[in-house]
Amino acid sequence: MAESLAFEFAPAIAVLPFVSFLVALLAGRYLPKKGAIAGMVATGGSLLLSAWTLFAVHTGHAYQQTLYTWVGGELVDFELTFGILLDPLSTLMLVIVSTIAFLVHMFSLGYMNDDGQTGLPRYYAELGLFTASMLGFVFADNLLMAFMFFELVGLCSYLLIGFWFREAGPPSAAKKAFLVTRFGDYFFLIGVVGVFATFGTSMFGGPGVDDSFVHVAEQALVGEASVNTFGFEPQTWFTILGLLVLGGVMGKSAQFPFHTWLPDAMEGPTPVSALIHAATMVAAGVYLVARMYGFYALSPTALAIIALVGGFTALFAATMAVVKREIKQVLAYSTISQYGYIMLALGGGGYVAGVFHLTTHAFFKALLFLGAGSVIIAMHHNENMWDMGGLKEKMPVTYYAFLSGSLALAGIVPFSGFWSKDEVLYETLVHGLGGSPILLAAYAMGLIAVFFTGFYTVRMVLLTFHGEPRSETAADPEPVRWNVKLPLAVLGVLAAVAGVINLVPVHAVVSAVPEILHDWLYHGPTGLNGEHYHELITNDAFAGYTSGELLGLGETGTLFASAGISLALAVAGSLLALVLYRGPDPAEHTDKLGALKPVLFNNYYQDEYQVWLAEGATVRVARLADRFDRGIIDGLVNFVSSLSLFSGDRLRRVQTGIVTNYAALLTLGLTLLLVAFGVMQGWFV
Amino acid sequence: MGSLAFARELRRATSCGLPPWGVVRMMLELLIALCLVGAFAVFVLPDEYAPKAAFGISLVPLVLSLYMYLTFDGVGNALLGGDIAFESQYQWLTLGSYDVSWFMGLDGISMPLVVLATLLTTLAILASWTPIDMRQSQFYGLMLFMEASLIGVFGALDFLIWFVFWEAVLVPMYFLIGIWGGARRKYAAIKFFVYTNIASIVMFVGFFGLVFGLGDSISSLALPEIAQALRAGELGSLGAFGPEQLALLAFLAMFVGFAVKVPVVPFHTWLPDAHVEAPTPASVMLAGVLLKMGTYALLRYNFTMLPTIARDLAVPIAALGVLSILYGAMLALAQSDLKRIVAYSSVSSMGYVTLGLVAYTMYGTGGATFQMVSHGLISGLLFACVGVIYNTTHTRMVGDMSGLAEKMPVTAGSFIVGAFAYMGLPLMAGFAAEFFVFVGSFDAHFAYSTVLTALAMFGIVIVAGYLLWSMQRTLFGPFRSETDYDVTTASLHDVAPLLVLLVCIIALGTFPYDLAFERVLDATEPILDTTVAAVGGGS
Repeated sequence: MAESLAFEFAPAIAVLPFVSFLVALLAGRYLPKKGAIAGMVATGGSLLLSAWTLFAVHTGHAYQQTLYTWVGGELVDFELTFGILLDPLSTLMLVIVSTIAFLVHMFSLGYMNDDGQTGLPRYYAELGLFTASMLGFVFADNLLMAFMFFELVGLCSYLLIGFWFREAGPPSAAKKAFLVTRFGDYFFLIGVVGVFATFGTSMFGGPGVDDSFVHVAEQALVGEASVNTFGFEPQTWFTILGLLVLGGVMGKSAQFPFHTWLPDAMEGPTPVSALIHAATMVAAGVYLVARMYGFYALSPTALAIIALVGGFTALFAATMAVVKREIKQVLAYSTISQYGYIMLALGGGGYVAGVFHLTTHAFFKALLFLGAGSVIIAMHHNENMWDMGGLKEKMPVTYYAFLSGSLALAGIVPFSGFWSKDEVLYETLVHGLGGSPILLAAYAMGLIAVFFTGFYTVRMVLLTFHGEPRSETAADPEPVRWNVKLPLAVLGVLAAVAGVINLVPVHAVVSAVPEILHDWLYHGPTGLNGEHYHELITNDAFAGYTSGELLGLGETGTLFASAGISLALAVAGSLLALVLYRGPDPAEHTDKLGALKPVLFNNYYQDEYQVWLAEGATVRVARLADRFDRGIIDGLVNFVSSLSLFSGDRLRRVQTGIVTNYAALLTLGLTLLLVAFGVMQGWFV
Repeated sequence: MGSLAFARELRRATSCGLPPWGVVRMMLELLIALCLVGAFAVFVLPDEYAPKAAFGISLVPLVLSLYMYLTFDGVGNALLGGDIAFESQYQWLTLGSYDVSWFMGLDGISMPLVVLATLLTTLAILASWTPIDMRQSQFYGLMLFMEASLIGVFGALDFLIWFVFWEAVLVPMYFLIGIWGGARRKYAAIKFFVYTNIASIVMFVGFFGLVFGLGDSISSLALPEIAQALRAGELGSLGAFGPEQLALLAFLAMFVGFAVKVPVVPFHTWLPDAHVEAPTPASVMLAGVLLKMGTYALLRYNFTMLPTIARDLAVPIAALGVLSILYGAMLALAQSDLKRIVAYSSVSSMGYVTLGLVAYTMYGTGGATFQMVSHGLISGLLFACVGVIYNTTHTRMVGDMSGLAEKMPVTAGSFIVGAFAYMGLPLMAGFAAEFFVFVGSFDAHFAYSTVLTALAMFGIVIVAGYLLWSMQRTLFGPFRSETDYDVTTASLHDVAPLLVLLVCIIALGTFPYDLAFERVLDATEPILDTTVAAVGGGS
C-alpha cells in the first residue's frame, strides 16, 4: 500500500508551500529568518513527498483523484473540478520544481537575509505562494485548474519581479511581465472556454478518466465520437483550440513575439529569476504543451507552428545574447532561446526530447542564475560583466559550478545540455527528413542557434571569471557563505551528470545502457504516455510524421551525424569566443558588427513597437474614446436636458436649494401618469 | 452535501429554537423596519454619536440577513412558481381591477443581493467615519434609509411596492451626493436623479403597457402572476398594437429604463460624474449595490417575463454588452482620477452581466447573477481603497502621488489584491463570475455568440492594463506626494472594511458553488425553460 499512501499525501506537495506563504505573511516578521526556514521546511517537505510519489508512480501506476468540486450538482451542464493527476510527467516535474524551489529558498538566505534586505517576510511569502501555485499547476488534472494556477503563477511573478517596489524599474518590469503574459492568457482563456464548449470537460486524462478532452478529440478525428466543432472540420477546430491555448504558452514561456517581458524581469531579485526561469513561470508554458501533448499530436499544423516558433525563438534570442554586457541579460536571452529548443522538440515530434531538455535546462539554468547571483553578491550588485574579470581565483566554488552550467548550456559533451539538445535537434531532423520541409526549416534555425549559444556562453564565462579584474570590487569581491555555495555545488553536479537519464546515442551503440527517461515517459497511463504520443504523431489521421534519415546513413548514422554537427557548431562558437575574449584585458569587439550592432543592442526594436502598441496606440485610442464620450454621448445627454423642462437655467435654479420641489415634481408626474392610466382603464369608475 | 441541503438541515435542526414561525415569515419586513427605525433614531441623534450608533444598528440587519442566508430554504424562481423564502403576502388595496398587495419574499437571486446590500451598508458606514465630518446624523440616517429601500427593492414581489422602493433608493443617494459630494456635486446629483428618473418613467410606461395588454388574465400587480401570464403567452393587444408589437415595445422601454441604471453603454454618462462627486461611502453603495438594481430588474422583468423577445434581440443586446465591456475599459484607460478609473471599469464589468443574461444558458444566467454579487464586493473594495487613499493624501489623481505602498502597506496590499480580483484572477470572485459568463455565452443560442464572447474576453487584458498602470504610478516607486498632508498608515476602522471584503472575495472565488452559486442556479434555472413561452399565442 506504499504507493497509495504516497498519493494520499500528494496534495500536501502544494499545500506545504502555501502554508509557508501564510506563515511568512502573518508571522514572518517575528521569525528569526523572516520565513526562510518555514519556506525551506515546506519546500523540503514538498521535495520529499514529490520523490515519494515519483517512486510510487514508478513501482505502481498513475493516479488521478478529484479533490474538490468547484461547481457541480444536478443543475450544472458540466462540472468544474479540482483534482490531481500523478503520472510520470507530472511527478518528474514536481521533483524538479520542488528541488529548485528548495535550493532557491536556501540561496535566498545568502542573497537576501545576509544582505540585510527589508521586506523579507513579504519576499518569503511570495516565494511560498509562487512555489505552491506552480506545484498546483503541475499536478492539475484538468485544463481549467491548470489555467487558474497558471494565472496565480503570473500573479506571483508580478509580485516578485516588482519586489523592490520603491525603485522605478521593478514595478514597471513587473507590469510588463504581467501584461504581456496576460495578453497570451487571453487566448488561453478562449481556448479553455472553447474546450468546455466543445467537449464538456477539460480533463487531461489518467486512470479512470475515459472521456478526457484529449481522448474525445482523438476519437472525433477517427469518427468514433462527435462533438460540436462550431462549423469547422474537426481537425481545423482542434488546431484552433490548440493554438489558442498555445497563446498562453508563448506568453509564459517567452516565445517570440511575447518574449519581451523576460529580459525586463531581471529587475527582480536574482534567486527569483532562477526560480522563474528554471522551474516555474517560464517552464509552465512548455510544460502545458507536454501535459496535453496528446491533443497537439492530433494536428500537424499546430505542431508545425510550435516547431517554427520554437526554432525561430531559439535563434532570434541567441543572437541578441551575444552582445549583452550584463550577466543576467545574457542569461535572460539564453532562457528564451533554450525554451525555444523545448518548443522545437515538442513541435518536431520529440516529446521525450522536449521533457528531457526541460529537465536538464531546469538544473543548469537554475545553477547559472544562482551562480550569477553569487557573482552579483560578490560585486555588490554590479551586474556589468565589463566590470568583472578574474573572479575565478577569488570564488572557485562559484566558478566551477558556473562552468559546469555553462558547458551544459553550450552543449558540450558530456554535460547534460549536450545530450538533451542533441536529442531535440535529432528528433526534429528525422521528422523533417521524413517529408516535412517546415520542420527542416525550424531545425536549421535551431542548429544555427547552437553556434551562437556556444559563443555567448563562453564569452560570459571569460568576461566574468577570467582575465584581470576590471574594477576594484572585482579585485576584492564580497565573500559568499555556505548557503550560497551549497546550492551551487548541488546544481553543479546535477548540471554535469543529469544527461545520464537519457543517453540516446550511447544506447544506440551499447543497448545495455538504458534510456531511463524514455522508458519512464513511455510507461505512463493509457493515453498519457510517450508510446501513445508516438503512435499519434506517426498516424496519418493525426500528425502523420514519418522518420527519414540523412543521406542514407541509417538510423544510427543519422543520430551520430546530427550529434556531430551540433557539437561541432557548439565547439566552433565556443572557440570563436575564446579567441576573441581570452587574455587579461579583452576588447568588446562589437564594433565589428557594423550596422547590426545597434539592432542587436536594441533587441531588433521589439520593445519599441510593443510599447508603442500598448501605450502609444492604445492610449491614443482611449483618449479619443474619452473625448467622444464626453463630447458626443454626454454632450447629447446634456443637450437633450437643456432642451427639456430641466434646462440649464432651471437646473441652476433647482441647485439654489429647493431640491425638494424638484423631487416632488417628479413624484407628482409619476402619480399623474398612474392616474392617467387608471382613468384610461376605468379603475376609478 | 451541498450547502443548500445543509441549510435545510440546519433549519430543521434549529427550528425548535427559532422565534415563532410568523415572525420568521416576516423577516424581510423586520429587516426593513429595523433599518427605518434605525435611520430615524440616528437622524435625531447628536452628530458625535451618529457614526457609532449607525454602525451598531447596521450590524443587526447584517447579522439577521446572514442568518436568513444560512437558513434560506427557497426553491426555484420566485416569479416562476418556486417556493418563495421569507414570503409574506397581505391584500392591501385595489386599483381598478387589480389587487395590490404587500408581497415580499426571496429566492436564490434576491437572497444574495440582500446580503450584499446589508454587508456593504455596514462597511460603507464604517468607511464613512473618517471622511464624513459634517452633518453626520443626517448622513448616517440616509445611509440606513437607503439600506431599507434596497432590501425592499430586492424583496418586493408586487410591482407597486417594488416601484416605491425602487424610487425611494434615489432620494437618499441624491442627498448623499448633493450634500456631502465634491465640487460639482449639485450637477452630478441632479444628473443622476433626472437621468435615472426619466428612465424609471420609460420603464413604467413599458411595464404598464404589458399589464394592460394582459387584460383580464391577471387580477393583481403581483410580479409572479404577471410573469407567469406573460410566459404562458396570454398577452393580448393594446390599442393599435398587436401582442408581438406590444411585447417588443414594452421590452424595449423596460430595457432602456433599466439600462440607464446598470448602466449599459450608451446610457452610462451619469455614472462617472456621480461617482467622482459622491463621497466614498456613497460610491461604495452606488457601485456595489445600486447598479445591481438595474441588472436585477433586467433579469426579473425583461429576461424572465419576455424570454422570446430577449432571445430574438440577443445579438444586439449581446453586442451592447460587449460594447460596454470594451468601450468602458478603454474609457477607464484614458482616466487619471482613480475614482473615474474604477467608475468606468464598473461600466465595463456590468457588461459581463448583460452578456451572461442574454445567453440563456445555465452558466450564462447564473454567472451573470453571480457577477452582480462579485462585482458588488470587488468594486466596493476598490472604491473603499481609493477612499482611504484620498482620506490620507487628499488627492485621487494618479500623477499626484507615488510610492504609497511604503507608507500605507495594508491599504496598498488591499488595493493590489482588489485590483487583481477586478482583473479576474482565479480563486477570487471575479474570475468565477466572468468564467461562468464566458462559458455560458460561448456557444449560446444566438448568432456570433462565439465571436462576441471572444471579444468580450479581451476586457480582461485592458482591465489589467489600466489597473496595473495606476498601481505602478500610485503605489510603487519612490514615495512622493503633491499634497502637503502627512501620509501615515490608515486606522483600523478604515482598513477593516477592506479586509472583510477581501476575505469575502477570496472565499466566494474559492468556494463559489457552496457559498452562493448553488442557490443562484436553483433560481435562474427555471428562467431558461422557455419552451412554453410563446408571446401572443395564448387565449
